[in-house]
Amino acid sequence: MTTAHRLVIVRHGESSWNQENRFCGWFDADLSEKGLEEARRGGQAIRDAGLKFDICYTSVLKRAIKTLWTILEGTDQMWLPVMRSWRLNERHYGGLTGLNKAETAAKHGEEKVKIWRRSFDIPPPPMDQEHPYYKIISESRRYKGLKEGELPSCESLKDTIARALPFWNEHIVPEIKAGKNVLIAAHGNSLRGIVKHLENMSDAAIMELNLPTGIPIVYELDQDLKPVKPMQFLGDEETVRKAMEAVAAQGKVKK
Amino acid sequence: MLIQKASGGVADAFLFRVRKFKSQRMAAYRLVLIRHGESCWNQENRFCGWFDADLSEAGVQEAKRGGQALKDSGFEFDVCYTSVLQRAIRTLWLVLDGIDQMWLPVHRTWRLNERHYGGLTGLNKAETAARHGEAQVKVWRRSYDIPPPPMDAEHDLYSAISQDRRYRDLSKDQLPICESLKDTIARALPFWNEEIVPQIKEGKKVLIAAHGNSLRGIVKHLEDMTDEAIMNLNLPTGIPIVYELDKNLKPIKPMQFLGDEETVRKAMEAVAAQGKAKK
Repeated sequence: MTTAHRLVIVRHGESSWNQENRFCGWFDADLSEKGLEEARRGGQAIRDAGLKFDICYTSVLKRAIKTLWTILEGTDQMWLPVMRSWRLNERHYGGLTGLNKAETAAKHGEEKVKIWRRSFDIPPPPMDQEHPYYKIISESRRYKGLKEGELPSCESLKDTIARALPFWNEHIVPEIKAGKNVLIAAHGNSLRGIVKHLENMSDAAIMELNLPTGIPIVYELDQDLKPVKPMQFLGDEETVRKAMEAVAAQGKVKK
Repeated sequence: MLIQKASGGVADAFLFRVRKFKSQRMAAYRLVLIRHGESCWNQENRFCGWFDADLSEAGVQEAKRGGQALKDSGFEFDVCYTSVLQRAIRTLWLVLDGIDQMWLPVHRTWRLNERHYGGLTGLNKAETAARHGEAQVKVWRRSYDIPPPPMDAEHDLYSAISQDRRYRDLSKDQLPICESLKDTIARALPFWNEEIVPQIKEGKKVLIAAHGNSLRGIVKHLEDMTDEAIMNLNLPTGIPIVYELDKNLKPIKPMQFLGDEETVRKAMEAVAAQGKAKK
């Protein structure tokens, strides 16, 4: 297999809600100062590797958009076309949005939390109209173009992947096949959808995989878009080593 | 209104009402333009054109204030347009961040770039006069359609500009090596007509962040200004410029500036004074 195409994906770094350990999902939290630094380092890594792109994709959530902007700025490619899509959004955590770990366990019990954590297809409780973030999320103008039935009130990982992949297939794949160098800046779960698909991973396997944040992840793909080697992380030696170790350790940890 | 086939009376009354209504044109659409603020090269008083200078710190602040003005007025947009030069793109980014609309679709195009200053790119005022003479500089300054000398292959910035990846898809005819104001407007308006106008007519609220001369193209067109008049108009920088347009995209009133009272007053005075200053 020879490399026909190259794809780079980046998961955004720490958001202001990450700092508070709250389920973020579709809440439009900004990057924290640390998350901004992660994005700058990611941009630096891409610059050091001399990677050039032709088109970029991101979600409609600012923590991913700002990550992309920071990278474009750092690599002097601010002029690149950018396409935003709700389909690359983070998983929608429904009624859990805004709760921190302790609140979630207190509200729903440890057992329930364990089930949600370990399930590929059981969604969290929906975000109903009484939810403090219902209005700001479900009624946001950015979702006005969604068709009937498309706007989620909660998602399992399976749901997230199911609405991310059509965008990958209809918009991103044709560009890659046309020879365009693609950069995607998005979220842990939407990127899991792409990785699961590229590597043909099982449901169990993708749930075990936590992509590192702020680190550009490079895929070399053959002409059928199959990876010719494992994903590579870009960065200084220590950053890359730590990230690789963290990913390797994930499979072993029992949650 | 009762319309009858009649002589005199009723028909005249009907026509009177139609004429009166027409003079009270309603704003069907609203458009916002913003010219980027100070760039690093502005600071050095160098012809910038297609050189991709970044905003200076002052220019960043101008953009932030522009965003604040839009936020204070509660503006919401549906789509944004900008050039492929970072000083305009960054201005747009700062505005979008300021009004919490970073999720908006953004379209970048070389057709909204600043005017290409050809061989003058990179020269400051003194160098330009030294190299070309005061008389020639005056001619270029006062001319609508005489371009500056071309940027040839020997120019320091030739490679950085003409061979930049972002212009890869332009045909030989499209990629300029210099432009008069007339040329700039001639390549900006097709984008306005083909891409922006249809969006406005669909009811989309449009924000354009661009450059002095590409925006002049849009303003000249909207207000049906003469070549002479547009050359005398210097749009203020960093200040959102609001047009209210009727259904035929004709402005129903003069452009409005958004900002605090003092900023707006100063900008209006500066624009008013322009027509009077002899260059």
